[in-house]
Amino acid sequence: MTRLDAPLVDWPLLLATLGLLTIGLLTVYSATSVPGAHQGLWMKQLAWCGLAFAAACLVAGIHYRLYDSLAWPLYGLSLLLLVAVLAVGTTKLGARRWIALGPLQFQPSELAKLATTFVLARFFDHSRLDLRRPRWWLPPLLIVLVPFALVAKEPDLGTALSFPVMLLALYFWAGMPAGQLLLGVSPIFNVALFFVTGSIGWFIGLFAVLLAFARPRLGLLLLVLGLNGAVTFTLPHLWNHLHDYQKRRIETFVNPENDPTGSGYQIIQSKIAIGSGGVLGKGYLKGSQKALAFLPMRHTDFIYSVVGEELGFLGALTVVVLYVVVIVRGFRLAAVARDGFASLMAVGIVTALCFTILVNMLMTVGWAPVTGIPLPFLSYGGTALVVNCLQIGLLQNVALRRREF
Amino acid sequence: MPSGPPRKVRDARYGALATLALAGFGLVLIGLLRLQVVQHDELQRLAEQNRVRLDVLRAPRGAIRDRFGRLLADNQPSFDVVFRPMPAESVSRARAIVRSAWLATVSALVQDDTLAVRRRVEEANRTGQTAVLRRNAPYAVMAAVEEVRADLPGIDVQVAPIRRYPEGMLAAQMLGYAGEINDQELSDREDEGYKLGDLIGKSGIERKYEDVLRGQNGAEFVVVNAMGKRVSTLREGPPRLPVPGHDVTLTIDLGLQRAVEEAMAGVQRGAAVVLDPRDGSILAMVSKPAFDPNEFSRGISNARWQELSAQGDNPLLNRAVQSAYPPGSTFKIVCMLAGLRSGLVRPDSHQPVACNGGFTFGGRRFGCWDHRGHGSIDLITALEFSCDVYFFQLGLELGLDRIEQTARALGLGERTGIDLPAEVRGLVPSAEYYNRHFRSGHWPRGVLLNLGIGQGELLTSPLQLAMMTGEIANGGHPIRPHVVRAIQGVPEFKIGKPVAPGIEADETAWNAVHEAMVRVVSAGTAKGAQVPGIEVAGKTGTAQNPHGRDHALFVCYAPADHPTLALCMVAENSGHGGVVCAPLVGRLLRTTLLGDSLAIARGARRDSTAADTTGGDVD
Repeated sequence: MTRLDAPLVDWPLLLATLGLLTIGLLTVYSATSVPGAHQGLWMKQLAWCGLAFAAACLVAGIHYRLYDSLAWPLYGLSLLLLVAVLAVGTTKLGARRWIALGPLQFQPSELAKLATTFVLARFFDHSRLDLRRPRWWLPPLLIVLVPFALVAKEPDLGTALSFPVMLLALYFWAGMPAGQLLLGVSPIFNVALFFVTGSIGWFIGLFAVLLAFARPRLGLLLLVLGLNGAVTFTLPHLWNHLHDYQKRRIETFVNPENDPTGSGYQIIQSKIAIGSGGVLGKGYLKGSQKALAFLPMRHTDFIYSVVGEELGFLGALTVVVLYVVVIVRGFRLAAVARDGFASLMAVGIVTALCFTILVNMLMTVGWAPVTGIPLPFLSYGGTALVVNCLQIGLLQNVALRRREF
Repeated sequence: MPSGPPRKVRDARYGALATLALAGFGLVLIGLLRLQVVQHDELQRLAEQNRVRLDVLRAPRGAIRDRFGRLLADNQPSFDVVFRPMPAESVSRARAIVRSAWLATVSALVQDDTLAVRRRVEEANRTGQTAVLRRNAPYAVMAAVEEVRADLPGIDVQVAPIRRYPEGMLAAQMLGYAGEINDQELSDREDEGYKLGDLIGKSGIERKYEDVLRGQNGAEFVVVNAMGKRVSTLREGPPRLPVPGHDVTLTIDLGLQRAVEEAMAGVQRGAAVVLDPRDGSILAMVSKPAFDPNEFSRGISNARWQELSAQGDNPLLNRAVQSAYPPGSTFKIVCMLAGLRSGLVRPDSHQPVACNGGFTFGGRRFGCWDHRGHGSIDLITALEFSCDVYFFQLGLELGLDRIEQTARALGLGERTGIDLPAEVRGLVPSAEYYNRHFRSGHWPRGVLLNLGIGQGELLTSPLQLAMMTGEIANGGHPIRPHVVRAIQGVPEFKIGKPVAPGIEADETAWNAVHEAMVRVVSAGTAKGAQVPGIEVAGKTGTAQNPHGRDHALFVCYAPADHPTLALCMVAENSGHGGVVCAPLVGRLLRTTLLGDSLAIARGARRDSTAADTTGGDVD
């Protein structure tokens, strides 16, 4: 049981978030201090911070049962908006991700992430939940598939992938055995390993080990074997039947770094910026201009490169530590939450957040594809900032009510 | 008690998820350490000098060839004088370099305004992208630059492909031209990978087939020294080789195209389309006046551009597909077909009122073009001599719907779907159209008189008329006009389905139309189009033009018994179709059908082997 004298607001979570927002504002200021098109953006970002904080307080104040009961309508609304964005959205840098609301631009995929979390949490919070039966594990798959497909179509693979990742975490949290879960996603590893290694041998080896540990029931075993068999035999055929330009398109979709005139250049510049920062950095406002004047997204997707260059490894490490506090406290709240919905909601939120953070950071150090997703709390951008703060607000909501009877 | 699993189980799952997250962040830290500690020195050096530059390896644009493989467009190298930005501590260094002396020297070298050079150099320093100061520099400029380059930091010479059109003005509007991408196109198509300085198709085939012609640029990261000279390739990013664009083979027959251009040498403004009535492939397409697309490749001055695009004749306009003219009497074929199809008239039908040089309707007298009158004649003779009085009455009998239906079935009033940009739709008025323009249901029946002889609101492009003629020649089968026959490396390329449904009529109707059209050339209004030994079927037209002299039109197909070509020629403001166009077409047909150069127009087998055996005269 939670100690009765424990404070209700989760202070480490709150302080770490405020710390990240501060670093973000300072870095946006620094990144846009070079003469150029984006000067003065930090003022707007400051205004967004205020709005985001107010919004976070608001969602923290309302009992999460309301979100529970509003889950499906919100989900429906967000799907409508996702369809709308494909139809009438604004195209920036090759993707339709925004809907214009007067002077503001709004990214429905962020809202969809929250709404899907609510729906999944509501679904898994069922007294008769039994994840060994398809009628219980299949619906969440469909719930996630629709927004995933719509967001991937924008195209925004980075954001789209956070939906299935969230689902995996929730399956696990709701009680699906880890081995079974890994078996379920084995066709994905199958495809990935095929692309990376070009042979099926690696996968067969890993699959055998997995089978030995998971010891699935016969039905599941047959299903998984069937899926993997289908993937193994159709994939090379499909691939060979594609034309070169179609293959290129897929490769660029999966890994935009392949386009050297575009994001490949950014990766190299990002690496140079971070690497040249060294352990101590070049000093706030002192380093970035030269290297980063060449980086068009230095205040958005590549803001972590600016941190790495100006504040060095120590600064970058500080940011990592703050994120770790947010994530670990988040999972902790899920563990101590008052009821099932709150707990599941917290896990969904934290997983999505963590995935976004890691994909962005690994991208700036050159270990993940450039998929165009911002770094939560640090990157410039209104919708993402508000939604990220809402996510923290929801976690605080769980914290506030963890001793309720 | 909280619902859900017991606390212990939750704690275990919490541990698992937290561990996974920590592992992810651990990976980030390893990445940071690798860059900031292990590779620090090397990256520090690169950052200090920022000596990494991205050099674009431009993909050669695909060539365009005629149906026999004869070259119509390809690439040739040109030399650009460029400024490579000084990324190294860029702001201070660039300021030190771009002094007035440097600017003055460079501006004099590239023969451009100091302000313009300064603006481009500053832009380059800001964005880090190479700026072109003088495109396609002539040899003298290149030599001067080479001499003093060592003293001018940042200035470099770069080879860039430009477009070459070996046939010059021939088929210029159809081929179109490719030029440097402009700001508007860049912002519209940024997500398709276009970069500043890329070539992009601006009109014609170059524009329509931009996606297959352009190829894919490659790139490499190079390390340069302080003077901007390349030292080595960066090992971080292996070069990506450019993928050349696809070659495009047209349906055009260069020989026939030349023959049409020669026949039309005396026409100031006009257009001609020749197509194969069997499959809709365009064999020749001419629009006058023309321009030389090479001018655009070399870089065109603003003044010259204004001159080309703003003047009344507008040589950039492809009149064959982008202009619409009243079809005039060529439309009588449509009315004749409509009458025969509906059973309202037979080939030997006479009209109630004989032609005495005019026709009175609603208290007004409408003249026949021949004021002497044609007397009482049958349908076939009426078409042969293009008797207006006959077709006034036929138009009244037919009514709007039958005329419109037949015209639309032949593809008039709708885009043909040809693979060229900005095709006009033309206009075939419908009841709805008249209701909009007159009080609903109260439009005068007099419009039918005009429709009967192809005047009034009707508008057709020369291409539509050629297609219509082709479909009449082949017995009403719908065809889809197209100019591209194949794209090398894209075997799935297919020509689209015809837009209009084509037309059905019985044997007697077709025979009557064909006989009438043959008689137009053998004895009627178009004797100038005769070819010894070969029957030609045609119809003249004279389109009244409120702004000046009448437009002359002529459509025909030949040989009449097994047609292998159908054509339409329009000469603006030059008088009667029979007087102006028919003789030009006659000369064209005699040289092509009787001469030896055009296997295709003579009805040789048109399978792919034909292309291989006749493709010898590529220069």
